[in-house]
Amino acid sequence: MLVIGEKISIIAKKVREAMMKRDPKPVQELAAAQWKAGAHFIDVNIGPAEEKGEDLMKWMAESIQEKVHLPLCLDTTNPSALEAGLKAHNNQWGRALINSTSNEPERFIMLELAAKYNAQVIGLTLGKGGLPADAEERCAIAAEIMGRALEYGVPLEDIYLDPLILQVCTMQDHAMHALKAVKMFQELNDPPMKTVVGLSNISNGVPKEMRSLIDRNYLALLIYEGLTAAIMNPLDKDLMDTLKTVEVFVGKTLYAHSYLET
Amino acid sequence: MAYAVPKEAYNGKVLNVKFGKAPNAVSIGGENAMPFLSFEGEIPNKPVIAFEIQDMPPDDWPDTVKNQFAGVSSDPVKWAQRCQNELKAQAIALRLISTHPDRENRSPQDAAKTVKDVLSAINIPLIILGSNNVEKDASVLVAAAEAAGGYNCIIGKAQEGNYKTIVAAALAHNHKIIAMSELDINLAKQLNILITQMGFNKENLITDPMCSALGYGLEYTYSVMERIRLAALLQNDATMQPPIAGDVGMYVWKIKEVSASESEAPLWGSLEERGIAWEALTAAAMLIAGTNLLIMRHPKAVETVQKVIKELV
Amino acid sequence: MALSGVEIFKLLPKTNCKKCGFPTCLAFAMKLAQGGVDLEKCPDISEESKKVLGEASAPPIRTFALGAGEKAVKIGGETVMFRHDKKFFNPCAIALNIKDNLSDAELKKAAVEVANSEIERIGQKLRIDAISIEYASNDSARYEAAVKLIASAAPDTAIILNCKEPSAAEKAVKAVADRKPLLYGATNDNAETMAGIAKANKVPLSVCAQGVEALISLTEKIKSLGVEDIVMDSGAKTAKEIIEHNTQIRRSALRKGFKPLGYPVINFALRDDSTFEAALASVAIAKYASIVVISSIAKWKNLALFTLRQNIYTDPQVPMQVEQKIYKIGEPTDDSPLLITTNFSLTYFIVSGEVENSKVPSWLAVMDCEGLSVLTAWAAGKFTSAKIAQFIKDSGVEGQIKHKNLIIPGQVAILSGALEEKLEGWKITVGPREANGLPTFLKSRTA
Repeated sequence: MLVIGEKISIIAKKVREAMMKRDPKPVQELAAAQWKAGAHFIDVNIGPAEEKGEDLMKWMAESIQEKVHLPLCLDTTNPSALEAGLKAHNNQWGRALINSTSNEPERFIMLELAAKYNAQVIGLTLGKGGLPADAEERCAIAAEIMGRALEYGVPLEDIYLDPLILQVCTMQDHAMHALKAVKMFQELNDPPMKTVVGLSNISNGVPKEMRSLIDRNYLALLIYEGLTAAIMNPLDKDLMDTLKTVEVFVGKTLYAHSYLET
Repeated sequence: MAYAVPKEAYNGKVLNVKFGKAPNAVSIGGENAMPFLSFEGEIPNKPVIAFEIQDMPPDDWPDTVKNQFAGVSSDPVKWAQRCQNELKAQAIALRLISTHPDRENRSPQDAAKTVKDVLSAINIPLIILGSNNVEKDASVLVAAAEAAGGYNCIIGKAQEGNYKTIVAAALAHNHKIIAMSELDINLAKQLNILITQMGFNKENLITDPMCSALGYGLEYTYSVMERIRLAALLQNDATMQPPIAGDVGMYVWKIKEVSASESEAPLWGSLEERGIAWEALTAAAMLIAGTNLLIMRHPKAVETVQKVIKELV
Repeated sequence: MALSGVEIFKLLPKTNCKKCGFPTCLAFAMKLAQGGVDLEKCPDISEESKKVLGEASAPPIRTFALGAGEKAVKIGGETVMFRHDKKFFNPCAIALNIKDNLSDAELKKAAVEVANSEIERIGQKLRIDAISIEYASNDSARYEAAVKLIASAAPDTAIILNCKEPSAAEKAVKAVADRKPLLYGATNDNAETMAGIAKANKVPLSVCAQGVEALISLTEKIKSLGVEDIVMDSGAKTAKEIIEHNTQIRRSALRKGFKPLGYPVINFALRDDSTFEAALASVAIAKYASIVVISSIAKWKNLALFTLRQNIYTDPQVPMQVEQKIYKIGEPTDDSPLLITTNFSLTYFIVSGEVENSKVPSWLAVMDCEGLSVLTAWAAGKFTSAKIAQFIKDSGVEGQIKHKNLIIPGQVAILSGALEEKLEGWKITVGPREANGLPTFLKSRTA
């Protein structure tokens, strides 16, 4: 399973301050730490980025990829900032991943950008008018996103469908709906559609000391259902160990006593 | 076609809570089926309605309901007696609203005296409610619990921010507790767990998931209550088995539908009947969602809901 | 039972030929399950699968229209026992019962009152949906005349012909057949004749029985006689019977897929005490009635019933929203504080409640963020500095107050700098993170 390191986010105070001051060091250090811990992508979440978003995303992409040789998952609702990130992205380290398009009209443009810059794109199964009620509604939205992707010229292999993980502490039922959706998404195409989740959403709002426990148990179930990628915290060793262990169970890793150390 | 009545197999049961003193003590809860489905379970107790009174004149109540208590509402003792003797109340809910820092900021000692005065004037069970100010209630309800020692009252509301002192006082003086959380089933469960972890017997607990008036979030309360009941009965979740309280009156009698005059809102019809219907329908919805104990204000609304209850059991 | 997308998929050719316009058969099946596309789009489906899909995709509770024209209401089609499981779809129709032996003037007055009952609440137009005309005169000519009179006085309202006497019913049906009246109804004694009348005039038919079990043979009989659109009255009269019968009926239809009970339910909640009648009707509305009939209407009563119905039938997945505008809390003056928040109704209720608690008269700017709470709206790019600035400028609040000081929620403290840049001359103050900090915050500012 692909790990998309989530640590570089405007939500984190340290990152936010570095972004504002354009101080590359904290960002580069965080990216490097995630790379070392096993991340395959680095998520770069600059928020709505109304203020000089283009400049910020460009600076972020360049600063990170200067030190860390991984593709980036560019995460903003501002399309022009996103485009600036795609332009700056160094494809030598892999193709960028756009986070994200959805069934909301203002996010259709992300597909256009994916086609223009040969990027991959996350399709969040969220539409106008409220949360999807269950797995079936998520699939119906997924089918629409897929249809639209083809119109825009984005191959289905470049789409990662995201079932929209919601916090278990207030929306318990959706934990099962999202798991079921991950399984069903794969059946929407042959070869199977790729899937991705924002893992830590599941533990939003729960006491801090319980978040890792909740994240890693949910991750185990998601991997069992065939998840392709997760935006998660690679610096959480328990979480990464769970990932490695479950991959042994599902036959993605060959067992050896020291499998955790590889 | 062959037909069998589809019955639900419930694993759990709502706890039976008895409050007040013999011979007028009142029991609520005890059912092992979803509300009023007696074809598939036992429903030993009827829902109970408590009349709300308060410890200062209800100047902020709309006239429709304030006028019902003209002449007695400046004295909680007279007000309580009126409810007991003339309106045949099954229980009284005394709200110590004057203790709120923004109202008269009366002291816990003042509140304790009011509680004693009311208790000595009535023989039906008493529910003692604070002013919903988290900090102030912590001291007011402790003093009230002490003053009401021996009367087996219900004290409320214990919330996340003040439950420790209130629960300790209820433990010390043998009262029941209303635990309130804000429209969130997970927080309701959490608060019940925290309270029982203090050694408070869950059989003395009543849960209040927060009421909302018709048109002002009623559906949230309705669904949270249904989900609490389903957890108690189908999942046998012991933390969700206390009876449910619905504090209807205070949420209803502050919205515009019960106070806008007919000239202000010509499409809404009679103000008097509108207000009564608003409280009665809110209460009726709470009942069928699972409420065991209603706290209400208008005698006509209470009378209407009593008629509904009579048809429901 | 309604089929899931995967179950439908199993009946499709699985060739992924894309002729239907979808990338795969499963994607097509998913859309089919949601009712968003027609089965005919698949050119290669077998006749056998088509038949199975046609039957099995019939919803567990039949859906059809009560009445005709623009104001016809859809009834039935429910899929869950509890609204939190998904949602209730087709709001219960409210009908006024009128006896045909009233004077013409009285009949007309009642019909006009129904026709004019529409009220708007949170963007929805709500009204008394139907008139039930009761055959009390025992005179078929009078009945026909009364029905015609009411039909013309309430030209868009659905009609229920509350008449178990076939000859009178037949005349009345024929007189207003174009209005698709609901014929009420068929009993053990008249089922065949009534079914014949309903079929010939293409109108729905209600069965009336004593108890749930007694409904079954009746609906089976009516269906076998060729009437598909059936409504059921189990004879429930008390609040308890309404809850118990309606629960048993819906459970049988949804959980057991029991077709003979898979139809909408009508309840008569008739009481002399109008407030009590309203309370009883609300029990029926919340507990699965598709039509509830009452004996009197009044503006206050209609408003309360409409509101209750609206509450019960809101979609729990869609956040409830309040209108975007500048709300007054207390009696604010032109130097009272101005706060801003999003239009998620719970956010609004809590914030406005706490501002009220503070007793500091204030202006509360509520911004349309599609019903998201503050932090979620910010993260989704809907509560950003540019959008807030635009909203404040467009709201006209600058003309209402003389200061330029805006209090923003503590959770979006990050916006304060950018907002000051975009709202020239304004000072942005960061309020408390949680609404319960507002009373202290507001009081300390005015102190």
